[in-house]
Amino acid sequence: MPRSGRSGKPGNASGQAVLVGIDTGGTFTDLVALIGNEIRVHKVLSTPDDPARAVVAGIREMLAGVTPTMVTYSTTVATNALLEGKGARVALFTNAGLADLIEIGRQNRDDLYALAPSRPAPLVDRSLRFEVEERTLFDGRIIRPLTRAAIARAVRAARRSRAGAFAVCLLHCYANPRSEAALARALAPLGLPLSVSHRILPEYREYERLSTTVVNAYVAPRMVSHLEHLERLLSPARLRVMQSNGVAVGAEATRREPVRTILSGPAAGVIGAAALVRTLGVDRFITFDMGGTSTDVSLFDRREHIRTLSYPAGYAVRTPVVDIHTVGAGGGSLATVDAGGSLRVGPESAGADPGPACYGRGEAPTVTDADLVAGRLAAANFLGGRMKLFPERAARAIGRLGRALKLDALATARGVIRVVNANMERAIRVITIERGFDPRDFALMAFGGAGPMHACELALDLGIRCIVMPRNPGLLCAWGALGSPLGREYSITIREAAPVFARLCRRARPLIDRATRELAAEGARPGRIRYELWADMRYRGQSYELAVPLTPRFIADFHAAHRRTFGHNAPDAPVEVVNLRLRASSGERAPAPAHIAKSRGRPSAISRIAALVGDRQRTIPVYSRDDLGAGLRMAGPCLIVELSTTAYVAPGFTLRVDDYGNLHLESAR
Amino acid sequence: MKLDAVALAVMNSRLGAIAEEMGVVLGQTGFSPNIKERRDYSCALFDARGELVAQAAHIPVHLGTTPLSVRAAIERLELAPGDIAAVNDPFAGGTHLPDLTLVAPIFVAGGKRPFAFAANRAHHADIGGMAPGSMALATEIYQEGFRLPPVKIVAGGEPARDVFELFLANTRVPEEREGDLRAQIAALGVGRDRLLALTDMMGYRFVTDAMAALKDYAERLMRATLARLRPGTYRAEDFLDDDGFGTGPIRLRVAIAVRGGRARVDFTGSAAQVRGSVNANYAVTLSATFYAMKCLAAEAVPPNEGLMRPIEVIAPPGTVVNATPPAAVAGGNVETSQRIVDVLFRALAKAAPDRIPAASSGSMSNLTIGGYDRFRARHFSYYETVAGGAGAAPGRPGESGIHTHMTNTLNTPIEALEAYYPMRITEYRIRRGSGGRGRARGGDGLIREIECLVESNVSLLTERRRLAPWGLRGGGHAKPGANFLVRKRQLVRIPAKTNFTAQAGDRIRIETPGGGGWGRANH
Repeated sequence: MPRSGRSGKPGNASGQAVLVGIDTGGTFTDLVALIGNEIRVHKVLSTPDDPARAVVAGIREMLAGVTPTMVTYSTTVATNALLEGKGARVALFTNAGLADLIEIGRQNRDDLYALAPSRPAPLVDRSLRFEVEERTLFDGRIIRPLTRAAIARAVRAARRSRAGAFAVCLLHCYANPRSEAALARALAPLGLPLSVSHRILPEYREYERLSTTVVNAYVAPRMVSHLEHLERLLSPARLRVMQSNGVAVGAEATRREPVRTILSGPAAGVIGAAALVRTLGVDRFITFDMGGTSTDVSLFDRREHIRTLSYPAGYAVRTPVVDIHTVGAGGGSLATVDAGGSLRVGPESAGADPGPACYGRGEAPTVTDADLVAGRLAAANFLGGRMKLFPERAARAIGRLGRALKLDALATARGVIRVVNANMERAIRVITIERGFDPRDFALMAFGGAGPMHACELALDLGIRCIVMPRNPGLLCAWGALGSPLGREYSITIREAAPVFARLCRRARPLIDRATRELAAEGARPGRIRYELWADMRYRGQSYELAVPLTPRFIADFHAAHRRTFGHNAPDAPVEVVNLRLRASSGERAPAPAHIAKSRGRPSAISRIAALVGDRQRTIPVYSRDDLGAGLRMAGPCLIVELSTTAYVAPGFTLRVDDYGNLHLESAR
Repeated sequence: MKLDAVALAVMNSRLGAIAEEMGVVLGQTGFSPNIKERRDYSCALFDARGELVAQAAHIPVHLGTTPLSVRAAIERLELAPGDIAAVNDPFAGGTHLPDLTLVAPIFVAGGKRPFAFAANRAHHADIGGMAPGSMALATEIYQEGFRLPPVKIVAGGEPARDVFELFLANTRVPEEREGDLRAQIAALGVGRDRLLALTDMMGYRFVTDAMAALKDYAERLMRATLARLRPGTYRAEDFLDDDGFGTGPIRLRVAIAVRGGRARVDFTGSAAQVRGSVNANYAVTLSATFYAMKCLAAEAVPPNEGLMRPIEVIAPPGTVVNATPPAAVAGGNVETSQRIVDVLFRALAKAAPDRIPAASSGSMSNLTIGGYDRFRARHFSYYETVAGGAGAAPGRPGESGIHTHMTNTLNTPIEALEAYYPMRITEYRIRRGSGGRGRARGGDGLIREIECLVESNVSLLTERRRLAPWGLRGGGHAKPGANFLVRKRQLVRIPAKTNFTAQAGDRIRIETPGGGGWGRANH
């Protein structure tokens, strides 16, 4: 229900809710609005120096006088602060003897064979790491309580530090948060953003918790001022922010824990894809988003797959994120021959400048050049004809590579495509087979500038029989933001060595109460909140946990999950529960996209192109996606061009267009 | 058959992915902190002759050594479908006793001989012997723990109960060993299943051809790397502090002759093997050499047997770089291996002066604590390595508190360690000022201080406590490391290599060496 505000009347004349979803991830800020049953979409150039400007301008242009009631937003403000090293000056308070843990990490290096190993610079300067005399044990006993004098010393150091944010992390606070809480109470009056580890992540393993807390502090001031600014501009609309795990929460909660938005953009893409295809009855799919310099893949098995540890910009963050696996290869990846005579594609990229050889500036062959030579990309229709491509430059670059390989240009282009597809295949294996899933049970959801060009052959390599290419792929993230439920995730380390269902439920009660309180404050009706409880479980003595839904059958489910994931289990061995996780959410109405016009038979080709089909060149028709009506079916091979990409439909695949304009490619095999 | 450039890249990716997936399974289902938290293990695939074809990047010291274990298993045992061999004998393909290698043959349907092998190696936190952790200051291999020549630990898909029992009866924490072994076996099953799925998809011939072609490919990359070095013979010496029994400095000497894309690495002139456990067997010396050479390559060389072909390693038997029975060898793998890398880089600095960094900490600073945990009513055995400083490179300071060269294990989280063992961490910080001065400064070492809450048996196996990691091109030496016992507030220096009983309340304080500096410092 729309709430009335003081300044202006939200909603349109008939008092309907006006919901807006926004993604500010890339060059463009994409917007989707739902006004009653009416859907509007819009796109404006992003304004990276102040993302709020594009948001506000976009909304004004799209809604033309209608005031939004709710804006849900996927943002890269926190991500960029981290990637660009432009976060706050953080002062850290931790146990005596452990000030350097933030720098030591886990003692390891990323590249085993680098002559000089390197790691990202610590986010807390040495002079800003303050030790406090305190010690709690793993069972929650405090053997050295914080004294008033110790607290006073910490506060004095904090005052002198000229920091922009504070982080507090003490050992074993997940078992007893008393000392951390006392320190936090003393630091709060200083008025700076305060990140306290047991509030952000009450889980054991001190380094990951510390790093997460510090990243939170590092991005907090920027996020706080950005959101306050945006909230003012959008008032009286409610502002919600997409979290990395695919739910949205209010601006207030986001200001406290901005670390949870670090992967908000890619998460929104997965949720958007889910919102779209669920209306079609496809609920198990793999997203394949192949862009210019990198490719994201993610598994969706009736719900998004969540993982709890990620390394944005090399820093450990242990909050739940949609499990997106990124490979450093895309359309702009350079193809080279190494000293051993093997073809290599990526990770070096031609980037935006000079870009692929066919863009007219660079000379080096890239995947896009191979796609062009192979006739998988229609030069005349690139970006709707707005950008000129130079096929002869691509041919020259690929030809040069071919001479080094002793292959003709066509075979070289095919080789480049095969090698980059092998990289993609490996990424998809990581998120499916390594997690106990068979990729053949999933559809491949292909988007991004290069995804639809490579999808058919990749699907064949993985045994996938069904590909979906969404309509308006550029808007997926904004769709995701619009359709994401209000929600929050909570966790706590409990270490139950002999877990019993009833007792676990009792221990989860405080989490549920907190969730109910916090979501109600965000406008959710308590009766409508959905609670999903999970237990992080392992065999007693193991150290890697599997998350299992907390039901009366949780122990049997754990044995089954262990077998599925790792290929073995030990049904007689004792199990333990390490953490409890709660995901509380309150669903919004998932908007259905608009229908497109019915097909009036096979459209006429806009052109024909010489394309590599299998091993040889054939002339195949090129269609415009705008000419394909709902219900159309036709067989490959052909190309489908649209503004942002070209789809290659391989022989053996049948193309079908659904009512919403999504393309489905189904393999006969 | 020669694979084309495309097939090479595709198969390199596919075989590498299998080895990596084996590692994921082993790490996530292992039981001991040493495996699950520190990831002290490696997984690999081998061809029919037992030559390495793909290995996941885990621990460099395993790179050159696992093939010898696999070949020992093949030579001594008739491996049938469903069998798994186990071996840890340093004089039959192993490295040091805690490293237990499992080898599974892989057959195509109806095949009479295996066409490939899956293998993994994991460092077990205790394998018997005179002290918990099996890294004690021993003088003979018989004191170091239970020695297992290649034996079938699984036969026809069923665990060989008698072998299991024999093995478990000889270790201090049998339930943990059994859990780790189960994880190792599961990882081999995944390797086998994935490789067979690949042969189903690509054809058996194609896969075996690809294995051969990938070795040739790695060989070409390594030859190209060696061909870029200035031809010549480069010599260097470096020293281990001592063997723990009063030898004083132990010489390592090398002459690297580089010519025409080949290298001859000759350790003749290195000291005779010693009484203490710093003797490296030949496998360890090979491994350290391949590690150093692989670092020189501009491009990622797939870790397989081919990269070893253009390199000849000469290590006279009976020396610290090729020990013969019954030498004690626990420290050869973890300490001498680092010194072998140091001496190689010292020599190579003359061939590639603009690339080679100064010496890194040069010790894994091995610490083993074990005993009876009266709080939890069970025996325990804890093993940890403490990182040091990295040597500075031209134009680049060394990182502090980071594992270098032959190891890359993680630390055990304090909150995991204290919940599992009767110990408490009282300090863990960077040892400021321990890196060498220079135009680029060496990285600093670490300080790790552990309080024992029960009477415990402690073994230290540490190096670079006397002879400092060296700087290069005028860069300063790092500070050597130091070990202390804190008893009743008294700080007492203790030897670099020692076994002793710590009382409840004692603290062990390890201060690790920094890395050397590079280039003369500006004043």
